[in-house]
Amino acid sequence: MNTSKLVMAAAALSISGTVLAGGTHGDGNSAVSGEPGKASDAARTITVEMYDNYYDPESIEVKPGETVRFVVENKGNLVHEFNIGTPAMHEGHQKEMMMMVEHGVIQGGKLNHDMMEMDMGDGQSMKHDDPNSVLLEPGQSEEVIWTFTDKSNIEFACNVPGHYQAGMYGEVNFN
Amino acid sequence: MKRSLLAGLLTLLMPALVLAGEYDLTVDRVKIDTGDFVKEGIGYNGASPGPVMRFKEGENVRINVTNNLDEMTSIHWHGLILPFDQDGVPGISFPGIKPGETFTYEFPIQQAGTYWFHSHSGFQEPDGAYGAIVIEPKGREPFRYDEEYVVQLTDKHPHSGDRIMRNLKMMPDYYNREQQTVGEFFSDASKNGLMNTIQDRMAWGDMRMMKADVEDLQGFTGLINGKGPEQNWTGIFEPGERIRLRFINSSAMTYFDVRIPGLEMTVVQADGNNVQPVNVDEFRIGVAETYDVIVRPKDEQAYTIFAESMGRSGYARATLAPEEGMEAAVPQMREPARLTMADMSGMSGMDHGDMAGMDHGNMDMSGSEGVSDMDQSNMEGMDDSGMAGMDHGSMAMGQDGSGDPFYAKGSGLMPMAASSCPTPT
Repeated sequence: MNTSKLVMAAAALSISGTVLAGGTHGDGNSAVSGEPGKASDAARTITVEMYDNYYDPESIEVKPGETVRFVVENKGNLVHEFNIGTPAMHEGHQKEMMMMVEHGVIQGGKLNHDMMEMDMGDGQSMKHDDPNSVLLEPGQSEEVIWTFTDKSNIEFACNVPGHYQAGMYGEVNFN
Repeated sequence: MKRSLLAGLLTLLMPALVLAGEYDLTVDRVKIDTGDFVKEGIGYNGASPGPVMRFKEGENVRINVTNNLDEMTSIHWHGLILPFDQDGVPGISFPGIKPGETFTYEFPIQQAGTYWFHSHSGFQEPDGAYGAIVIEPKGREPFRYDEEYVVQLTDKHPHSGDRIMRNLKMMPDYYNREQQTVGEFFSDASKNGLMNTIQDRMAWGDMRMMKADVEDLQGFTGLINGKGPEQNWTGIFEPGERIRLRFINSSAMTYFDVRIPGLEMTVVQADGNNVQPVNVDEFRIGVAETYDVIVRPKDEQAYTIFAESMGRSGYARATLAPEEGMEAAVPQMREPARLTMADMSGMSGMDHGDMAGMDHGNMDMSGSEGVSDMDQSNMEGMDDSGMAGMDHGSMAMGQDGSGDPFYAKGSGLMPMAASSCPTPT
């Protein structure tokens, strides 16, 4: 409960672009994965294809401060996510995604969009509209524009239950 | 013109591009040491279990099997798609391999995943003649891992397969150490009421079945990769690594409930087929099944792989650890389960009209499969009078899918307390 609240708070903070200092405990990594970028700042486009259950490519190189336009295509038969974050953020988000499966939002290869709008109380819904991620049905394609601020331990990952654990993640290497 | 020339060249080269692997297996008498007892058994290349055969999808394999026994043998490639005459079932696909002879199996590998092989002659398989098959796919694996281990389970019994069969044929509950007792009658009576308990006992008696008949064979030592619980097979990992565990149940009879306390497992493959990944704390593996799971131990500590038998009469144990010699706590086995009427009703679509004249004495329950494996075909001609007291209402017959949605359609699972059952007609 506490962690998911924390993660949600962290997500909210990252939306407003506020710089967070070390939200995770002890691992010395900054909890910041960057911030939403402007299309005009993106000098580079990276196409990321999603399959059942892996990414192609499985690692990308970025420079600190670089803004990248990701074109994410779901070429698999299942719903997949492309989410930029630290391992701890992904772990927190996996609980939310589990909830989405339990409530029938994610149904294997389909998304129940009505259910995503549903009022969960406390002003929450399961819209899955954070700017650091997209959740795509098979055949769909969307863009994520992201600015990688500082060097940190960042992965792009699919947090649909079981997918991250099976290895659906990719490394973001800073150079 | 140029293009067709090139194509022609490619076709000429094609046969050379197909990989061909040659493998040798000998079938030998071996010593099997479980830690609890030492037995003479049968193995491959001098050991039981035999080697892990590693193939590549698309490869043509030639496997030379030399029989060093003084009896016929055979190898069945469990789960592999191959020409029928390579399937290794004596009397059906080929005559068998005579003592001293070498038989060469030759077939294309058309699939990937985790499988196993075993003798298909007599009781050689429970006596130790089994090994693992790992097939690497043509393309990439649809998951990622840094390390992989085969975790091959078996139920090694001090008695030979022949002796077990003889005993079970004489008395199906010969090895049952979990019989119901008078004490259990009284405790059931105080819990469910005397009449309900009497009715329950009579219903089971009428069926000539036992609630305690969960496992035909008890008194075995569970082995993982040939090692007993005390010998503790250990797989080494670096904290943070993803490890693929290829579970294979090579038991003669035992279903295992497998868990690794402290680690979540993600099932990615079942019987060699990739599946939608599912996170589980525990899974049940039936005889001859394979499950591939991915685990990710993050801490510098040991984890116990604990596989207790479905009837809780024995267990296999192994360890995942950052270094050899480390151990984690080994849990106690849980209470043995009793069968319920729900276990007796796994016959979806069964037509009651067909059940007249069933003779329960003819039901072959003494073979290598337990009650839960009961084949619908065995139930043909079942006598309805023998079913008196059996609650038809609680039977998951699949006619109406409106039952408890928690249980999958046709799973045969729909437990209901005996006391809440409607009175049988």
